[in-house]
Amino acid sequence: MRVLPRPRTSAVASTASGMGHLYSRWTPYLFLLPYLLAFLTFRLGPSLFGLGMSFTRWSIVGSPEWIGTANYELMRIDPRLDAALKNTAFFTGLTVPLLVVLSLALAIFLNQPHKGRALGRVAAFTPYVLMSTVVGVLWTWILEKDFGLLNAYLNKLGIGGLPWLVSQDVALYGIILTTVWWTVGYGMVLFLAGLQDIPAELYEAARIDGAGPLHLLRHITLPLLAPTTFVVLMLTLINSFQVFDQVYVMTSGGPGTSTLTLVQYIYTTAFQNLRMGYGAAVATLLFGILIVFALIQAYLYRRGIRGVAS
Amino acid sequence: MISMRLLGKLIWYALLVALVVVMLAPIAWMLSTSFKPETEIATIDVHWIPRTFTLDNYQRVFDRFNILRWTLNSLIVSTGATLLVLLLDSLAGYALARMQFAGRGVIFAVILSMLFVPMQITVVPLFLMFSKLNLTDTYLALILPVGANVTGVFLMRQFFLNIPYELEDAARVDGASTLRIWWSVVLPLARPALTAVAIVTFLSTWNSFFWPLIATRTDASRTLPVGIAQFMSLRPGQAQGAQAYGQAMAGAVLAAMPPIVVFYMLQRYFIEGISMTGIKG
Repeated sequence: MRVLPRPRTSAVASTASGMGHLYSRWTPYLFLLPYLLAFLTFRLGPSLFGLGMSFTRWSIVGSPEWIGTANYELMRIDPRLDAALKNTAFFTGLTVPLLVVLSLALAIFLNQPHKGRALGRVAAFTPYVLMSTVVGVLWTWILEKDFGLLNAYLNKLGIGGLPWLVSQDVALYGIILTTVWWTVGYGMVLFLAGLQDIPAELYEAARIDGAGPLHLLRHITLPLLAPTTFVVLMLTLINSFQVFDQVYVMTSGGPGTSTLTLVQYIYTTAFQNLRMGYGAAVATLLFGILIVFALIQAYLYRRGIRGVAS
Repeated sequence: MISMRLLGKLIWYALLVALVVVMLAPIAWMLSTSFKPETEIATIDVHWIPRTFTLDNYQRVFDRFNILRWTLNSLIVSTGATLLVLLLDSLAGYALARMQFAGRGVIFAVILSMLFVPMQITVVPLFLMFSKLNLTDTYLALILPVGANVTGVFLMRQFFLNIPYELEDAARVDGASTLRIWWSVVLPLARPALTAVAIVTFLSTWNSFFWPLIATRTDASRTLPVGIAQFMSLRPGQAQGAQAYGQAMAGAVLAAMPPIVVFYMLQRYFIEGISMTGIKG
């Protein structure tokens, strides 16, 4: 998300055109109407409705029964939700730093002025072009315990294979590995864009002053990439917390609850066990967590701006 | 000094080769497995080139799964959703950027606030709504909710803010209606923004999984990602036969190749588009 041009304020807009009154009073609303209808019906409405549902018991047959905060009280003692929260936090805690560091390293590496870097960029981005379920199916096979490609090479190297997706201890690592391979190219592209915005004169000036490559990295590249790093961090954080597709295809949350994530749990609860009310309550919890992320983001962003200004 | 540089270059190229191998080997392995007979799939030896080359896996995919129908469904849904988003968002974005009216700020703020609301919270109510209307397992159930996307409106509005007013004013002096100005003056100017929104919408709908998984039941509307998931998730977490893997890789190859080919042809636009919008494709 590059910084978009600052919107003109309405006052400026009206004086600039001087013709703000030439359409009828209702025209703006008519232009907005089709979108707003979709927005209310498929986004705002269902969000509020979902919030309301979280206070009910509702299987798909029959009518909803208002049960107050019972769903939320149940959440506090639900061991499966507990596992889902822990797994999601663990997945996020490992995936996000890995993705940020690796995609930054890739971008810097593939920004070197050597022939062949375009090939590297295309190769690194190729997995991201695949749809999630193709990636899931492919890596289920690669991580297969007996005949999978990864274990074949691990055995050859004498390290020994792991029961990737069938053991409670390592299944989540298998999904993390898959996710990093799949999405690292996305962060790389954002970082590459950020690198193009750093003026070359800065490097030249520093080099004339005798700065070495590590010095350039630490004092020019990394500080000037900070806004991009922030964006990549926030995007991967939000995406990681909502991880579902790979999990659904590769393990469906198993073995046991070892890879059960929040969204997988919402899916199982609402659409397999048909506990719609409780599913909506867990979705509301996810919403709450994401709001906290957004607030932290806003806070850090503001502090960051002040930091740059001072 | 020169030898240091040479060494650095050598290391760089060694790393480049390692990178390309790590990123592309899984895809090559997918291709390789898809052409292998069962006996060669279930072996501990790694053969990158199949010893016996067979199309059986592909034959089985076409016999047992309606993969062409899934692809057609995905094309229809993604195209429909893209057209819908272009229409709704360019109208709404234009009003939000260029017109003065009561409630503009509030409306825009409410729209933007939905960026923070995860779509998972909407799926349960959406499912109930489409069930009540008897519209689950239809294209409409997959297309219509995309029309409520937020980023498209935001991008269109930002773009419209920066179009010079003079062009619209000239048309207005000539007596053109607002709708006419939107259609024949503003939209042609907005081609870059429309293209970006179209690409982002098409890709995200094409790859969308969570809602289509819930909203589809049969091959009548099942999209490609949901179909592909069936190859593995029948008995997730359990060991599956070699036949299942051969067949799954053939299906994965069929689903993966068109996007990879398109990406290699248009990679510049993909990468530019992503760095411009920062939106997950």
